[in-house]
Amino acid sequence: MGLKVYADRMSQPSRAIIIFCKMNQIDFEEVRIDISKGQHRTPEFEKINPMKQVPAIIDGRFKLFESHAILRYLACSFPSVSDHWYPNDLTSRAKIDSILDWHHANLRRGAMTYVFNSALAPALGFSLNAQAAEEGKKLLSSSLLKIKSFWLKGNSRFLLGNAQPSIADLSLVCELMQLEVVDSEERQRVLEPHQEIRDWMENVKRATHPHFLEVHGILYKVKARLESRRNRVSPKL
Amino acid sequence: MGLKVYADRTSQPSRAIIIFCKMNQIDFEEVKIDLSKGQHRTPEFEKINPMKKVPAIVDGRFKLFESHAILRYLACSFPSVSDHWYPNDLTSRAKIDSILDWHHANLRQGAGTYVFHGAMAPAFGLPLNAQVAEQGKKLMLSSLSKIELFWLRGDSRFLLGNSQPSIADLCLVCELMELEVVDSEERERILEPHQKIRDWMENVKRATHPHFLEVHGILYELKARLESRRNKVSTNL
Repeated sequence: MGLKVYADRMSQPSRAIIIFCKMNQIDFEEVRIDISKGQHRTPEFEKINPMKQVPAIIDGRFKLFESHAILRYLACSFPSVSDHWYPNDLTSRAKIDSILDWHHANLRRGAMTYVFNSALAPALGFSLNAQAAEEGKKLLSSSLLKIKSFWLKGNSRFLLGNAQPSIADLSLVCELMQLEVVDSEERQRVLEPHQEIRDWMENVKRATHPHFLEVHGILYKVKARLESRRNRVSPKL
Repeated sequence: MGLKVYADRTSQPSRAIIIFCKMNQIDFEEVKIDLSKGQHRTPEFEKINPMKKVPAIVDGRFKLFESHAILRYLACSFPSVSDHWYPNDLTSRAKIDSILDWHHANLRQGAGTYVFHGAMAPAFGLPLNAQVAEQGKKLMLSSLSKIELFWLRGDSRFLLGNSQPSIADLCLVCELMELEVVDSEERERILEPHQKIRDWMENVKRATHPHFLEVHGILYELKARLESRRNKVSTNL
């Protein structure tokens, strides 16, 4: 029984795992858990992940959740994974760990709060919340500044000045892709001051082509649906 | 030039690093960065950690921040560290990584928010905020239930049913110790329904004796100061 990845491609960390596996020729079965249909709350899925969240994996009899733990495990367990994703060198590895840890309470929290409360909430049965969205946006913007000034300084192609992407690049850029579902002009205003961020996102997309585009397909569909709904509500004159 | 640990012992993750080093006979110099005096915002400290937070380490010329990344790095770099702290076995290690990742947005966010906005803020010249504290408390309580149900089930001495502590035990228990500065009756009400949590905290304290007690000394001082302030306020009728 091979590797199973329980995922919803609308979930940023789910996408990171799927892209990582495809890039590294890791054989896996993708099991779709549709969050918008509450499939993460079924008793069957609770046996896979008692925290009722995606992504989660089963490798043989070994179950694991939390995307960063999963990415580390896959990088260390599968010999086909190139070293640059999660280097064996301890100091290089530690610096990637540092970014992955920082991510939770910073970029992830900011971006997720902003996107959920300004765009995605209705798709999951909740209402929008402009105040919460604004707080999220502040944290998102300050996180982008920190990434830019610290981890992308100089002419860095990838975080930490690396020449090739690591699991930190993949995780953080998948998070930022979620901004696609926000109103386009809003999204442009958020990203416009950050040339280095936009360049970095392009670098990651190119380095993980064609899987990045393919895995993000669902996001563009949802983006189109939400945009058409927004235009119906307030057609642009 | 040996290991330097930049820490404030009122900071939960700072304490985890210090206790870990002492338990594993890792030689280090502790450099106090007093948060209540704003020492984390000096230009000198910004060179150590551009995120202006504790803990941070400098090992030779290598700088690192984020406590989980630091603990992983120390566990892997220093041969004196026993395997149980961060096992070499990939699946055991991955399960510990999973807890450390989960911690950020769950127990840490809940307990950190509750303690700061419900008790600690005045020590930093900031007002309390009962509403925010209440939100933190909800998240903290649901996190405690999850830890009990999943990672401490059965007769677990430590997380995951391990017979010896890992860096996950140390991190999470140091976080919970911050509750000491909250009003004593409140603290008892929170912990009273959670026998497993209380037992687990005692197990970690005993396993890391005498360092655990010594390193938490400052917290008990802060507790006494805040309690005396609370008594002054509520006797001013």
